[in-house]
Amino acid sequence: MTENTKVAAGVWLIAIAFAFLLPVICSYDKYILHVGITIAFNIALATSMWLIWTLGFISFAHAGFMGIGAYTSALLFTGLGWSLWVNMWLAAAVAGLMAFVISIPLMRTRAVYFFMASWAVGEVIKRVFAYYRGIFGGWDGIFNIQPPKLVLPGLNIDFSSRVAYYYLALVCCGLIVYVIHRIVRSRTGMIYWSIHESEILAQHVGINVLKHKVIAFSTACALAGVTGALYAHYHTYINPKTFDIWQSEFSLVHIIVGGLNTLNGPVLGATLLTVVDELLRPTGWYRVIFFGVVVILTVLFLPGGLETVPARLRALVGKWRKRSD
Amino acid sequence: MALDELTQMTLTGINLGLMYALIAIGLTLIFGIMRIIQYAHGEFYMLGAYVLYYWAAVLKLPYWVGIIVSAAVIFVVGAALQLLLFRPLHGKNILYSLAVSMGLIFIISSGGLLTFGTIVKGIPSVVTGGVMVFGAFYTYERMVISIVSAGLILGLWYFLQRTTTGMAMRAVSQDPEVSSLQGINTRRIHWIAFGMGSAMAAVAGCLMGTLLSIVPTMGFIATVKAFMIVILGGLGSVPGALIGGLIIGFIDSFVTTLVSADVAYIIGFATIFVILAFKPTGLFGQDWD
Repeated sequence: MTENTKVAAGVWLIAIAFAFLLPVICSYDKYILHVGITIAFNIALATSMWLIWTLGFISFAHAGFMGIGAYTSALLFTGLGWSLWVNMWLAAAVAGLMAFVISIPLMRTRAVYFFMASWAVGEVIKRVFAYYRGIFGGWDGIFNIQPPKLVLPGLNIDFSSRVAYYYLALVCCGLIVYVIHRIVRSRTGMIYWSIHESEILAQHVGINVLKHKVIAFSTACALAGVTGALYAHYHTYINPKTFDIWQSEFSLVHIIVGGLNTLNGPVLGATLLTVVDELLRPTGWYRVIFFGVVVILTVLFLPGGLETVPARLRALVGKWRKRSD
Repeated sequence: MALDELTQMTLTGINLGLMYALIAIGLTLIFGIMRIIQYAHGEFYMLGAYVLYYWAAVLKLPYWVGIIVSAAVIFVVGAALQLLLFRPLHGKNILYSLAVSMGLIFIISSGGLLTFGTIVKGIPSVVTGGVMVFGAFYTYERMVISIVSAGLILGLWYFLQRTTTGMAMRAVSQDPEVSSLQGINTRRIHWIAFGMGSAMAAVAGCLMGTLLSIVPTMGFIATVKAFMIVILGGLGSVPGALIGGLIIGFIDSFVTTLVSADVAYIIGFATIFVILAFKPTGLFGQDWD
């Protein structure tokens, strides 16, 4: 087991090093950096959705909370001129607070009902943005959200440059993944998995299930809010369609294809599928069909996702060795 | 509010509500018997409408036969998909059925866009004319559609209450293990229920396709409505789906006419949310795991 953890740590280090060197490797190619930034956003969304999954739920309101973060940050920028550095935290706070308020009635529902109710929440959030033209700009959205500038003594970075924003997205995404990693590895994380395994049993050994559900959901949504703020300041333009159910669906695809059991899964899935998505972009609708086929094949033939491939291969090799002995 | 407007909105509400109920009953049947999330339910609604389109508008064959053909085709497609994709997932976490049906949505709706094209199409109506009711114009077409929807819902109710297969379905939805001990072939019930549920969505698609227009992306909206209704009424409950359908139909009709379609969505979802907050299993639902 320790051997596996060591290998995993090694792979993680190589991946992080590669991510930091990517701008140099691709010789500051703007398109590749854009893909890198998209991957960072997708990883942040998928991992924070996965945090909810550790309690045994799937929330389709996730893109909606990303939207709340994005709109908070965008409105604070266009209305008050505050920069991303402040807005990011406020976006997290607003998204987290909204999630907290909503989750208290929401968490009374279970299984399919929870999934559907969260879906309803996501749709309502989108429709509210679409309906209130005066505040949220309706279906047209909000324009002209500028990336921030960092002015420190001896340091002056303008994040409207692609490379600078790439590092910003990378660091923020890394921090989000690290926070989730720490939560999942802690005692609290074990409590989450126990709720995942059996809610009733968890309740009977004295775990306050509702409290943990509410806190986990709010945390995950706050992290999605930060992602939304970063998204808004990167694209400089947001509209309700961006925070559609589609966004949540794709995050779920990333999690399922990557793997459901550890944090490696969503990271792997989001990275790989975003790259595939970009490669298949010229094929138009066939791209979506491809994703559908991949999801179905994964569920039917590779339950547990891509992260289980090494273990499966090892088992296969072991079997083969035994036979040849 | 004038009387004619009120009548108009009420009639539209009943019309929409019955149609929604038709889609939602299919979904609730599938859920009640298999306990899976059939997220791609609306895609069968879309496919049903296209089968009728090719039958009636392209091949110029008789309309009413077309509806039966469409229902039969979608029955076979649904039953085949159940045997192929959903049977292996039986008894697993609902996430897996959600994922598979999400994959189906991707495949069917994009495949639909590729094969049927993005152009909006219409199915020619066979019933023309109308009648004035309290100053509101009520077309015979809408009347026929309401009657057909209501008839199908009643027919299904009779099927579930009186026939052997129907009773077996109710037994499976109450307790799969005990019913298989009683000699019910649950696997057979599964594919029949899936086929029937999908066929009901297809008929709704045919009726709606005549009334409005058809596009390959219309399936998802039907899924949204069907899920709203099923959650409102309680998963697995047929009367719940009927009442939920009428509630959502009336909200859609009144709010869309008086305010806007976005607000209709917001109010619809808010209603569901409030109901779930007070009764987490919907109006008539049981507590499922």
